[in-house]
Amino acid sequence: MYMLGSVSFMSKFMMLDAKAPATLGAVVEAVTRLSTLGEAKILELVSAGKIAELFPFKPAGDQPIPPDTMAEDELVEASALPLNRKQRDALIQSSLPVTSRKKHRLVSKG
Amino acid sequence: MTASDALWWDARLGPKHASMAARADRFWSWSVLLPLCHLVQRAKRRYCRPLVIWARTDEGRFLRSGMSVLIEGYPYLEVEHPGGSHFVWFMSAADAGVLATQFGMSHPPALGRVLLDNAIVLSQNAGLAGRIGLHAAAAGGDALLVVYDRCGLTRLPATAALPLSVRWPNDGRFFYADELVAEALAATLDASR
Repeated sequence: MYMLGSVSFMSKFMMLDAKAPATLGAVVEAVTRLSTLGEAKILELVSAGKIAELFPFKPAGDQPIPPDTMAEDELVEASALPLNRKQRDALIQSSLPVTSRKKHRLVSKG
Repeated sequence: MTASDALWWDARLGPKHASMAARADRFWSWSVLLPLCHLVQRAKRRYCRPLVIWARTDEGRFLRSGMSVLIEGYPYLEVEHPGGSHFVWFMSAADAGVLATQFGMSHPPALGRVLLDNAIVLSQNAGLAGRIGLHAAAAGGDALLVVYDRCGLTRLPATAALPLSVRWPNDGRFFYADELVAEALAATLDASR
């Protein structure tokens, strides 16, 4: 059902209550369950503040809040044309915050 | 729309909107919604287009003032004319009073119309003739129905059948724009493009 990139994407969530990394299986299961619902039903659940009952996760990440305003030349205008696959993949990836890279221990130089 | 835009909205406007009981989006967390929408639609083999509207403040800089998530290639709501459309799944305009008093934007644009125009133009450019649809969240009450009506959308009769894949009974809160309505709505904003 999902592309390989989506699987990697789904491993980047935290559980709401435990504040621990969500298992990939739990996220896949929640998304699969939500995908059986119509868009209007999901809209109603979100608007009633009940989406956490079906999707108890939040994106992992530690980004600072960006500044309130930007100058005109700093803005990137969205394309009004249909996107190609590469652009769509980039758009999906940009919907999750950047997580800190895990630091690996270096080998001893004796 | 990126994760940064969602984070900003949740942190800076979300708490203000949360206290406004009449707003349909008072419980929305864009940081969760944004990846969630992508995942759910990929599971249905569709794509989302999340967009941000930036508007100019009194000082000439730009501020996020509208957010939306569109679904590309969604079944057109008028079953008598089967085809594709763009579906406006989530759409949120910043409160004009908050923009004026706390972010230095004395004259916010008509954000609802701009958000719908984005969907119409993308639909036109995707070869879908500007056809769009949406569902007005029940949390928005009658006031939200009035908003979409004033924006120029057509309300789907509560007796009308819906495409099977919509998977929701027609509660009388669906709106759409056909080719003619879409073109007329887009034309009214052509001067500002």
